[in-house]
Amino acid sequence: MSASPLSMRDALYEAPGPKMRKRIVAGTCAALMLIAIGLALVVRQFYVTGQLEPRYWALFARGTTWSFLAQGFLGTLRVAVTAGALALVLGLVLMLGRISEIGWLSMASRLIIDFFRGVPSLLLIYFFFLVIPKYGIRMPSFWMITLPVALAASGVLAEVFRAGVNAVPAGQTEAALSLGMGDAKIMAKIILPQALRIVIPSLVSQLVVVVKDTTVAYVVSYPDLMQNARVLISNYDALVSMYFVVAIIYIIVNFAINQLSIHLAHRENAPIITKNTTNPV
Amino acid sequence: MGIGELFSTYGENYLQALVQTWSMTAISFACALAIALAITVFRVSPIGPLRIVGDFYVQVFRNIPGVSLLVIVTYALPYLGVTLDYKTCAMVTITMVVAAFASENLMTGINTIGVGQIEAARSIGLSFAQILRNVVIPQAVRSAILPMTNLLIGTLLTTALASQVPLKPPELTGMVSYVNSRSIGGIGAFFISAIGYAGTSLAIGSVGNLIDKRVRILR
Repeated sequence: MSASPLSMRDALYEAPGPKMRKRIVAGTCAALMLIAIGLALVVRQFYVTGQLEPRYWALFARGTTWSFLAQGFLGTLRVAVTAGALALVLGLVLMLGRISEIGWLSMASRLIIDFFRGVPSLLLIYFFFLVIPKYGIRMPSFWMITLPVALAASGVLAEVFRAGVNAVPAGQTEAALSLGMGDAKIMAKIILPQALRIVIPSLVSQLVVVVKDTTVAYVVSYPDLMQNARVLISNYDALVSMYFVVAIIYIIVNFAINQLSIHLAHRENAPIITKNTTNPV
Repeated sequence: MGIGELFSTYGENYLQALVQTWSMTAISFACALAIALAITVFRVSPIGPLRIVGDFYVQVFRNIPGVSLLVIVTYALPYLGVTLDYKTCAMVTITMVVAAFASENLMTGINTIGVGQIEAARSIGLSFAQILRNVVIPQAVRSAILPMTNLLIGTLLTTALASQVPLKPPELTGMVSYVNSRSIGGIGAFFISAIGYAGTSLAIGSVGNLIDKRVRILR
């Protein structure tokens, strides 16, 4: 959601007259009724199929359930934070390679960036899980999930960084050149500090993609939130309730990250760069 | 196993996998656009509850991890009396998620138009339908081309989710485990699938850029 969607939404309509106001009220009532009926049907379906029975929900009254889920959540955090940090460094390096004046380096960086952006993270996970062990390389499950997630994110982050660098006005480079600064110094002292500031909100919003990518950690049986939920499901035989609760936890976490990113974007007065994000998984 | 040997043994399967990936991408994206259109109409309608439903849909489905939704659709819905086959499950999941992002793109497209233009249109006496048809939609569609291109690539990558359910024939990501469970596919099995994805994204990207260059509004 960009700057202020509400203003445009409201601008589409004139201030309603008495007739229109009546129609809006009628529409509102009809919509409310339809929504209520829809919700009632969903709840009824849960009730009819017996999914509201207390035995499916009693496990959420136990402390052990929540502490086990919390352990899983810590696992998710560990993977997300490590992958995010790795992707930051790698993305920065790839971006610097991409914008460098050296022909082959720029070409190679571009190829790597496009590859990681054009390939699903799940495929990269299968690469680390199925392909690499065949060459006799053993790796703990933590790295089998963290490395592919980091690689997938690094391609996108490189493009985000590049957009940030491009957003720094060209006059700044020209001014620095006329002061006699070298290319490397201009990048380190003039452009990067400003570019990083611009991209902070976008980096935060990319964290959502990283968190989503970690949910396939069960492929490599790393105990993250989803994997621990699956363990609880096989222990308590409460599949429906558990999957819904876990989904809600993920939604709340990602919603919070998105809100933080929007908040930062407003404070820094920098837009969230979504131009190059192609991975909604 | 070398690439050549892989092709002679599994060439047919890889072709089927590629078609599977493409068909899931195309169908899901088309359905997602239709849903996104409805959701976006909800979100700009003057009826409060509909706006809330539209916003709620977008917040839920842009924030839910694909796998989390997929396991609900595939394994939880049958308990609630809704049983779909595996391919449909995967496509429903992809469609729901992509629709949320598509609606966001449409909203951004609408927002770039600017309040001033609407006010100007109204002051020369255009009706609401005319404003939509002549001012809002042409501009919103044009500025949404590039984001939608990226979203189509995103949809392509999201179809990898389908490797988490037993699909017949498997799609490109599922092929890697299919090959590896039968013979030592090694790095080649991975790269054939990767090229399938990267090549398709490249093609989609260049077509999108071409269309965008032709219809872009220079501001």
